[in-house]
Amino acid sequence: MAKEYSVIGKSKVKVDGLEKVLGTTKFASDYSLPDMLYGRVFRSTVPHATVKKLYLEKARALDGVEAVLDYHDIPGKNRFGIIIKDEPCLVDDKIRRYGDALAVVAAKSPEILEEALALIEVDYDEIEPIFTFERALEADAPIIHGTTNIHQVKHLECGNVDEAFKKCDIIIENVYSTHRLSHMFIEPDAGIAYYDDDGLMTVVASTQNPHYDRNEVASLLGLPYNQVRVIQAATGGAFGGKLDISVQCHCALLTYHTRKPVKMVRSRSESTMVSAKRHPMTIEAKTGATRDGMLMAMEVKICSDTGAYASYGPAVITRAMVHCTGPYSIPNVRADATFVYTNNPMSGAFRGFGVPQVAVCHEGQMNALARKIGMDPVEIRIRNAHQIGSKLTTGQILENSVGFIETLEKAREKAAEVLS
Amino acid sequence: MKKRGKGVGSMWYGIGNTGLPNPAAAFVEVLGDGTANLMFGAADIGQGSGTAMAQLAAEALGITYEKVRVTWGDTRVTPDGGATSASRQTLITGNAVLKACEQAKGTLADVAAAYLGCQPEELDFSNNMVTKDGDATVTMTYHTLMAEMKTAGKMAVGAGYYNPTTTTLDPEDMSGIPYEVYSYATTICEVEVDTETGEVDVLKVVSAHDVGQTINQSMVEGQIEGGVVMGQGFVLMEEIEVSDKDGSIKNPIFSKYIIPSNLDVPEIYPILVESEGGPGPFGAKGVGEPALIPIIPAIVAAIEDALDVRFTKLPIFPKDIVAAVKEKETDADNGVLN
Amino acid sequence: MNKISISLNLNGEDRVIDVFPNRRVVDLLREDFKLTSVKEGCSEGECGACTVIFNGDAVTTCCMLAGQADQSTIITLEGLAKNGELDVLQQCFLDEGAVQCGYCTPGMILTAKALLMKNSSPTEEEIKVGMSGNLCRCTGYEKIHAAVKNAVEIYKQKLEQGGESIG
Repeated sequence: MAKEYSVIGKSKVKVDGLEKVLGTTKFASDYSLPDMLYGRVFRSTVPHATVKKLYLEKARALDGVEAVLDYHDIPGKNRFGIIIKDEPCLVDDKIRRYGDALAVVAAKSPEILEEALALIEVDYDEIEPIFTFERALEADAPIIHGTTNIHQVKHLECGNVDEAFKKCDIIIENVYSTHRLSHMFIEPDAGIAYYDDDGLMTVVASTQNPHYDRNEVASLLGLPYNQVRVIQAATGGAFGGKLDISVQCHCALLTYHTRKPVKMVRSRSESTMVSAKRHPMTIEAKTGATRDGMLMAMEVKICSDTGAYASYGPAVITRAMVHCTGPYSIPNVRADATFVYTNNPMSGAFRGFGVPQVAVCHEGQMNALARKIGMDPVEIRIRNAHQIGSKLTTGQILENSVGFIETLEKAREKAAEVLS
Repeated sequence: MKKRGKGVGSMWYGIGNTGLPNPAAAFVEVLGDGTANLMFGAADIGQGSGTAMAQLAAEALGITYEKVRVTWGDTRVTPDGGATSASRQTLITGNAVLKACEQAKGTLADVAAAYLGCQPEELDFSNNMVTKDGDATVTMTYHTLMAEMKTAGKMAVGAGYYNPTTTTLDPEDMSGIPYEVYSYATTICEVEVDTETGEVDVLKVVSAHDVGQTINQSMVEGQIEGGVVMGQGFVLMEEIEVSDKDGSIKNPIFSKYIIPSNLDVPEIYPILVESEGGPGPFGAKGVGEPALIPIIPAIVAAIEDALDVRFTKLPIFPKDIVAAVKEKETDADNGVLN
Repeated sequence: MNKISISLNLNGEDRVIDVFPNRRVVDLLREDFKLTSVKEGCSEGECGACTVIFNGDAVTTCCMLAGQADQSTIITLEGLAKNGELDVLQQCFLDEGAVQCGYCTPGMILTAKALLMKNSSPTEEEIKVGMSGNLCRCTGYEKIHAAVKNAVEIYKQKLEQGGESIG
């Protein structure tokens, strides 16, 4: 360490720690306000359909129900999404996944709310659902968004891959696949909306991105950004799963119409069902090296299902592509990725944005290569490791702060000490 | 039979959004009694960004940690911090905090320099004191400094924002500068595989992370430990099952989607590596996502080492282990090794 | 359904309340008594976030009905700090960095407390097994274990000095 710091590097007690051990920290579901209503979403039980008719009258007539809203009740824009605005707050054109939001209800008690939701009925005109990557790309497959089921295609290339493979002593080829995963943060999504004393639409929510939420709520309600206030409640874990809009817009819409505070707390199943999931991936990889373990060329093909909505899909595909070689200098690389829309649960941000998936591949390749040439797995990594001055596949030169080799050496040293 | 194996996994991780502008901002005010209010958008989701920012501000202003009060994630009060994602807040909001503090400190330094009879750049701010470099006798307390500020009618306020240096990636070949800086990590682990039941016991994990500069050691260790255990779940326990009838999730609850409990936890040895010269605050990078990544391939490699079988498909559940062991036995001379 | 009257000792105070017998104890505590440290995470007794100390045992309250709480003694996290002074476990969780998002923390601390009330010097294995019903997604449990182990040591020292007991 160059300088002796007085605070940096020290294990200071967390600024919010005391309230958390006292149990006084307020999470979104802990808020309660006078005249507060309880809100919940009526969701589709089919994955792909148009709505023929939504029967809201009985629910609206129930005593204690203060609002039953569908997309007609949205004063502003009925689309949100962090990168591509393709997800409706309440379905208007068609249902694209099991659990799409069709209506929202606010009632005076959780019991009345439950009763009201049971009174809502819907007639669907079902469309063939698409559940596989392959089917999404077939010519006769129904289209989920716009004019194609291809969400994004990316191509990365540097050097001369085909020539380089010809000169390699060893080529390793494998197909890797990784699965769909859920964040399972312990706190299910929750939030409360209300008009504050200044008449400001206020949403307190469990979220990773309050300023983005503010913009989406404002856009939904047709309000200027500074007429909406979003406050991040203490957030009970997230891991990427609370980056998308959850209850913020639904709560705000109900408050907008009732003028009363509305709280929404998702059940565990609802939370898991509709929050984004980790992208499952199939990754084909071909790695070429010299006999002494120097990486010469790599070719990668990534296929993934981003589900019904884009969410963070565009961020995942781009990051996966840039990181697909692993932290190694490989002069000749070609990578292609295709992400498709399907009627499966939405894939999005989850701790690592596609890098855990490609790490299964690049490390699988490195370990296979090390075994094939009989080289120590740490040694082969050191031989190819990024260091200051390394050129990435994107052409970027690393100029500072590259401690990779030190992580390899320190880990090896400690492992020799503590592993059997 | 129980078989042991070891495996290595490494990773790199670009900090911040890929090839996109993604700024964050902060406001600071040093108050009359030498405490400070610090405001920024960055949502703390338990990882501790609020604490890290308080530490950065305390170091930058030269006041003790306890004197900094932070407010975050309130759009009426705090400026935009962008998403708490991409392991970006320490680098980006961290630099914004330093910029805001430097601005406030500029005013403080002018007043202190006039009082102490030296140049502003000669001053060292530390532990609630302002001292001339190399001369401990030329010194004043923050308390005195703030009284001087009041007399002079000056205020110690600052606002700053930071946007990491990246470029848009070329749509043809993705060339460009996707990230300003990268974190690196290597994990080595040891597992014990029961070839009959297919159970995999992760015994010990060494995980070394290049974090640039540690801001809060305990919090970084906490990220690494949490990441290791989440990674175990990734490889060995967790999978969302989707119905091919209606696209619904068949296991959305904890009794059907099993995450690691404390009984699954191995011995974990976090190692913090510091690498100099990075663009982050005091050289810090990010660790939130890197913490999860290298354990995943390391566990896969350790199982492969234990069984001498390749695994290219995740998850690896006990049934997959049992099937792989069986296949290896029945196909001994033409194994699945490559 | 008619409401029933139930009496219980809650954080050291005797309380009486009229509730529907099928009201879940988690709702009784959170909604009726405003003890919001009791968290709900799964509603099926799997995650442990809603744990309280119920007649001396750590129990999840999401699957327990109000009728069962009649004549019981319940301690929630609100009842742990005495006269503004943190319980040893609370202090150890804080000092050890055992808290990240904090949502599992109340259940974790109370499970540990119940464990230590029964067994003041548990082994490492007993701590692990005793706390295995509480899920945490952030910490990897390491610092939670460290916090509980530290608390055991501190309680031991206090006892040796003839100080207060754990309960």
